[in-house]
Amino acid sequence: MTPAGTTATATTDTGTASTDTEGRGATSDGGTSTGAAAPAATGKGRPGKKPSEARPSPLAVRRRKLFWPLLAPAVLVYVVFFAGPSLYTVWLSFNKWGGAGPMSFVGIDNYRRLFDDPTFQQSFANTLWIILGVGGLTFLVSFGLTMVLRDMKGRKAARSILFFPNIVPSVVLSILWGFLFQHDGLADALVGALGMEHPPNWLGQSNIFRVIMVGLVWTSTGFYTTILMAAVDQIPPELYEDCELAGANALQKFRHVTLPLMWEVVGVCAVLWTISAVKVFEFIYAFAGAAGQMPDAGVWNTALYTYGEAFASGGVPRYGSAAASAVVMVTLVGVLVVLIRRVMRRDTVQF
Amino acid sequence: MAVTTSGRPPGRLARTRSRLTTTQVLGVPLVWIVAGFNILTGLWLLLSSLKSADEIFSSPWHLPGALHWDNYSRAWSEGNFGVAAVNTVVVVGGTAVITLVFAAPAAYVLSRVTTRFNGGFVLFFALGLGIPAQVVMLPLFVVMNKLLLVDSLFGLIVVYVATSLPFAVFFLTGFFSTLPVELEEAAALDGASAFRTFWQVMLPLARGGLVTVLILNVIQHWGETVFALVFIQNTDHQTLSLALLGFLQQMQYNGADWGGLFAGVAVVVLPVLACYVWLGRRIIEGMTVGSVK
Repeated sequence: MTPAGTTATATTDTGTASTDTEGRGATSDGGTSTGAAAPAATGKGRPGKKPSEARPSPLAVRRRKLFWPLLAPAVLVYVVFFAGPSLYTVWLSFNKWGGAGPMSFVGIDNYRRLFDDPTFQQSFANTLWIILGVGGLTFLVSFGLTMVLRDMKGRKAARSILFFPNIVPSVVLSILWGFLFQHDGLADALVGALGMEHPPNWLGQSNIFRVIMVGLVWTSTGFYTTILMAAVDQIPPELYEDCELAGANALQKFRHVTLPLMWEVVGVCAVLWTISAVKVFEFIYAFAGAAGQMPDAGVWNTALYTYGEAFASGGVPRYGSAAASAVVMVTLVGVLVVLIRRVMRRDTVQF
Repeated sequence: MAVTTSGRPPGRLARTRSRLTTTQVLGVPLVWIVAGFNILTGLWLLLSSLKSADEIFSSPWHLPGALHWDNYSRAWSEGNFGVAAVNTVVVVGGTAVITLVFAAPAAYVLSRVTTRFNGGFVLFFALGLGIPAQVVMLPLFVVMNKLLLVDSLFGLIVVYVATSLPFAVFFLTGFFSTLPVELEEAAALDGASAFRTFWQVMLPLARGGLVTVLILNVIQHWGETVFALVFIQNTDHQTLSLALLGFLQQMQYNGADWGGLFAGVAVVVLPVLACYVWLGRRIIEGMTVGSVK
């Protein structure tokens, strides 16, 4: 009953998920498409039966009555506390509002102000850095690890260890990572042992964001390595043996066998990364904001900016521009996901 | 064998093999260095949680001279980790169970009863997977404020349940659709009502998937910070992640109590580690589900 293998047919690609459920449901369909459904249900044991005899089974009829009673509670909670508020944020982003009193409609003013605000520009740039820079590095490292892990002794153990940071709360990882770079801390000791007299000021303004980015690579690599490994495991080993006979080197094998055969998975990973990269919050918040206040604006990403505008701005909360910033975040995700899917689209290699 | 069929001089294949091992000679130690970094960080954290603050800096690589268990008692009482641990257990447990209560029936009908709305609902839930917390939290804060659910553990549970539904419904819909239909039909023939079939036949069958969702949900919320920061204000109601942040803040005024801080960190990490050692494979598979066909 391992979910990874079996439920995988309902992929993260939501389109596939829905068709899958429909396909399944058809074997014992309710009433909408009785003609098509019946042969699948009854035809198995008795090939002589005709489709015209199809009637929804009593089970299907009774089950249909459950549809709304079982679905409605979840939909209600989801709409009231998640989907509704999300949509309302869009409306909020066109208004000026301090959290109490009346709202005033200001059109796209919030957005205009947002993109004029140097703090937001910096936050936006940092978000892009996380998506592209950290993402690129994470994928590079994950690919490297996957290649080595492919036929290594103790790969399961190594994979488990690499994956572990992924389930440790980000706040904890952030505190540990930050401690490594304290003045006279372990990073300094390490650099000193390598012969550097004056260790760089890790947490100084020019370096701190880079240190954060490397920390993010550390925490996310295990997850993607695990996914890529699962994809590599499905590549038939004969292909590699053929390569070896043809005298291909590791890089050639990677380019001509591994990469084409896991192209689709790489695309899924890119989408997953984009979504989670935009959500990065705790790691930066706890890393740089040790005083329990907001960290220095130079390391903010859009997630921190949104939070700061709404809840930590000192004076009147600026819900309008916070909402606008949130909308920019989700738009960025949407645009990038569409872009990734378009760029990665390619005939899947069957094997 | 390969050598004879290829008809090449044997030396050539041997050379390929040896070149392969050279990449591995470089790669394998690198993998273990990265893995070793994780292990050492963990070990070092545990050891540091038993050291005095001076010792952590003066001899970071040594075993603690004396075991400072007082770090833990200080974190537990002064750092409010005791209260926070209880709160977190309540919130995390409540969230996981309530999420299942809502998600499992919905996922069941979405995977089994076909109407023209199915695809739409599945997509509607799945879209929530891509929505960052920041997009929801402003209006949600206003709503919760009106309902007097800000700064209450129950309110936090409500928020967590709502935001957990996308993944839970998505995951369980997939899981239910892999279960055989025959048993349901048998139950129906035996005269079980549709609801009873769901309750007494399908739910037990889906136990594996339900447990996976439960575990992942607990892990996800154990150290959740964004919503906790927004919706919890009072120290009495804070969760472990807030206690950690609060401890960091206190250190600004009371001096660097790194020993106490690491004891607090250990309180947060050890349950996760125990859970991982116990259920590691299941956690990994659950989290990477759907990425690979």
